[in-house]
Amino acid sequence: MKYLSEWDQWKQYSSKSWKRFLEKAHEMTTHLELWREDIRSIEGKFGTSIQSYFSFLRFLVLLNMVIFLIIFMLVLLPIFLTKYKITNSSFVLIPSKDTDIQCTMYPISSSGLIYFYSYIIDLLSGTGFLEETSLFYGHYTIDGVKFHNFIYDLPLAYLISTIAYLALSLLWIVKRSVEGFKINLIRSEEHFQSYCNKIFAGWDFCITNRSMADLKHSSLRYELRADLEEERIRQKIAERTSEETIRIYSLRLLLNCIVLAVLAACFYAIYRATIFSQEHMKKEIDKMVFGENLLILYLPSIVITLANFITPMIFAKIIHYEDYSPGFEIRLTILRCVFMRLATICVLVLTLGSKITSCDNSTCELCGYNQKLYPCWETQVGQEMYKLMIFDLIIILAVTLFVDFPRKLLVTHCSSWKVIQCWGQQEFAIPDNVLGIVYGQTICWIGAFFSPLIPLIATIKFIIIFYVKEMSLIYTCRPSPRQFRASNSNFFFLLVLLIGLCLAIIPVTISMASIPSSKACGPFTNFNTTWEVVPKTVSTFPSSLQSLIHGITSEAFAVPFFMIICLIMFYFIALAGAHKKVVGQLREQLSLVREQSQVLGSWQWPFVQDTESRDKRYLIQKLTEAQKDMRNRVDVL
Amino acid sequence: MGQCLRYQMHWEDLEEYQALTFLTRNEILCIHDTFLKLCPPGKYYKEATLTMDQVSSLPALRVNPFRDRICRVFSHDDVFSFEDVLGMASVFSEQACPSLKIEYAFRIYDFNENGFIDEEDLQSIILRLLNSDDVSEDLLIDLINHVLSESDLDNDNMLSFSEFEHAMAKSPDFMNCFRIHFWGF
Repeated sequence: MKYLSEWDQWKQYSSKSWKRFLEKAHEMTTHLELWREDIRSIEGKFGTSIQSYFSFLRFLVLLNMVIFLIIFMLVLLPIFLTKYKITNSSFVLIPSKDTDIQCTMYPISSSGLIYFYSYIIDLLSGTGFLEETSLFYGHYTIDGVKFHNFIYDLPLAYLISTIAYLALSLLWIVKRSVEGFKINLIRSEEHFQSYCNKIFAGWDFCITNRSMADLKHSSLRYELRADLEEERIRQKIAERTSEETIRIYSLRLLLNCIVLAVLAACFYAIYRATIFSQEHMKKEIDKMVFGENLLILYLPSIVITLANFITPMIFAKIIHYEDYSPGFEIRLTILRCVFMRLATICVLVLTLGSKITSCDNSTCELCGYNQKLYPCWETQVGQEMYKLMIFDLIIILAVTLFVDFPRKLLVTHCSSWKVIQCWGQQEFAIPDNVLGIVYGQTICWIGAFFSPLIPLIATIKFIIIFYVKEMSLIYTCRPSPRQFRASNSNFFFLLVLLIGLCLAIIPVTISMASIPSSKACGPFTNFNTTWEVVPKTVSTFPSSLQSLIHGITSEAFAVPFFMIICLIMFYFIALAGAHKKVVGQLREQLSLVREQSQVLGSWQWPFVQDTESRDKRYLIQKLTEAQKDMRNRVDVL
Repeated sequence: MGQCLRYQMHWEDLEEYQALTFLTRNEILCIHDTFLKLCPPGKYYKEATLTMDQVSSLPALRVNPFRDRICRVFSHDDVFSFEDVLGMASVFSEQACPSLKIEYAFRIYDFNENGFIDEEDLQSIILRLLNSDDVSEDLLIDLINHVLSESDLDNDNMLSFSEFEHAMAKSPDFMNCFRIHFWGF
């Protein structure tokens, strides 16, 4: 028997106790995970695809909390410290030098008699008493905070916090979606769902509930039949004659034009609604009746919600005639709805932008923006985003209260009626719900620049939505046999979120870079545009650093850099292609080995079998290594 | 993790089981608790055995369509000792490594135990998954052909272990679905 030396024994003992410590720490952190028990029980009762929706919602809550933390640390903390005299610091206010006095006027509207309901209107629309609070951009008319030995540059901090939260969101989403993308890239099949995956990894061994098991069986039945049906349709498509193809393609062109026309009509409706609402908001709003007041304030939100309600139905009808395979139909409808939902926000913001920069049908020379109607335009945009967010929450609560629960009551108590039987109990529609929360998140991303407290409101809103949806799911929904695959759905959710982020960056960059910042309020009163803070700060750096930065941002550097990046990308793509070819060749070789052994005959059987199985094992090993290599390349990429 | 009683298991045994399996302390103790509830009272847990029926009717396995195969693969001489149950829980735990899971999945799916997953095995698997009486022959043949065309690399109409391993390494859902939580009951 070999005895371990003292040193080896100590090493083993310390590695074991380290592993145990890590295990304990891991167990403790999993207890800290938000809503772990709720999501586990949802997974057990309704399946992994609905569970992935709630995990996605939890991810958004965390993302918004972190965004708010960034904004708090960079912008709100110095201001609170100074305002409540926690540290011995003071505000630095630099009066603007060469701007017209007219640009710096910010009339605060106050009427004589204030009715009670005006408080409610202010709360719902961000006007009145909410306008001057730290909720909106206009409150931060501070040029710096003077601490003991340095001056904290608030405009720069505000800009950096915006760039930081957008970059952080992008990186976090890309990191989470890398898994799904890798799997898609390596596969030789073009679609996610392979039969091997569905048969061998089809049954979720976690299921312990009898009804959940029955549901899983029926969903597997549905899925496998649907896949084979899709295969048959794909073959039918491949066998189309040329006349049929021409007919189908011209029909598709026509229908796509109709889709574009529907989108254009919706965008125009939103444009007109926004202009109407903006124009009438400036008039005697206090003299209007309560309902009319709210209607005008919320008109853009109402139009957007109506458009988002009607267009999916239109798209679903249209795609029926376009004759795609069922899987592709679902994906295309979802993509169209996604684009519709997210582009409506962009249209709203761009409409506002065009109104802000037009003064009596001409360009504004005095201040660069329409200072009569919008003395503090960032606050107005922030108010619109605030209204959208509040209205979205109200609609979700209202739909759950007034549609889902009554439907469930009707189904349980009046199930003998034909209509109720037809309509049936509600199924938890994942795509619609996901679009809803991505819509909310896009509003948050756009609004966070104009209203620093919006991420906090978004966090609270998503927490409320989590509990509301969970209750609605448990009490009113029945599980649907048509289910997304979990691996597929994660990638889909994050892809939609990424589209939302890209569409959110557009209005933020336009307002930062091309629309002049308001001179009457906000941290950027002394700058032409928001982005101007950066060149001004760079000019305060030492000259060597300045020339370095100027060199990096000049065209002489950017163009070769871009070309080198493209070359590297092409190299990796070519490498991946070469690996795929090697994998294909190895597969052919494997079947060749089998055929050769058949040809050689039976009297050499033991010997041949030996070499054949060794060859096969060797080739399969090589195949697995080649696949692993490809995956590692994608990792590096 | 439920109320787990900590009596009747020595500390060294617990350490040993923790080192030999992928289970955490809590999981081992909960399985020990469940085992004691099911085995005849008064017997020392290391000598007691459970029948295949008793293990099949555990809540974790009750609705699993492959429970009889799982019981066959993990039992010895048609009975389960405590260590067999621990071994089974370890393979199905979240921390187990993929290669171990794939190895046992292959044995579970090999219904006729000839070392290969052939068409007969695939047919049994599909029938168990669908759990319905009216499955047409065409559907079965179609599915079997698709599975073999995707994963049978040497065209011998059956899957050897390396082909199965290769197919499962590509599958994104396998690790997530091949898990059972035995504790908490």
